Amino acid sequence: MSERHALLAHRRRYIIEFGASICTYTATVIISSAMVHSHSQANWRYAVAVLPVVPALFALLAVLRQLKRLDELERKIQLQALGFSATATSLLSFTYGFLELAGLPRLSFLWILPLQLVLWGVGVSLTRARYQ
Amino acid sequence: MNNQLRVLRAQRRWSQAELAQRLGVSRQTVNAIETGKYDPSLPLAFTIARLFGKRIEEIFDPADGDS
Repeated sequence: MSERHALLAHRRRYIIEFGASICTYTATVIISSAMVHSHSQANWRYAVAVLPVVPALFALLAVLRQLKRLDELERKIQLQALGFSATATSLLSFTYGFLELAGLPRLSFLWILPLQLVLWGVGVSLTRARYQ
Repeated sequence: MNNQLRVLRAQRRWSQAELAQRLGVSRQTVNAIETGKYDPSLPLAFTIARLFGKRIEEIFDPADGDS
């Protein structure tokens, strides 16, 4: 198998692993939230509430596996993008936190993960463009 | 950092993809090194030098650029 085919195969496997984990995470958040709301006094509600952590863990493992497969430039790009998404997410969440004090509606911190993922994608695009 | 990678590759009539395959990196990485947008790690620089049968300083010149 050529290097290009190997890279494409790795990327495809990563997209499948990460995509399946995120889809499962989203479905689990919706289902567990509904169950916890409808059974707010049940003893098992805590176990159900943290169920989304399981697919999130698989997503994390998929990311770590992919980082090990990358070549050095792509690893550098991903590191810079992760740094960008971490700092930008912190800045945005803090900013909105202060705006909440001023009267904007409270948002769940569950929005932080999707925000960080979007910003990570933006960071990858911006950083990759610098090396093309 | 300037380098002779594009010249050396052209002498062997290799495409960027062929060179990338021989180095075990992506074509994007070869292109970024050739255009001076990315300086390779020391292990990759040694691999490049070995592949072309040259010393690192014969391929990479740190004098005229930043890193």
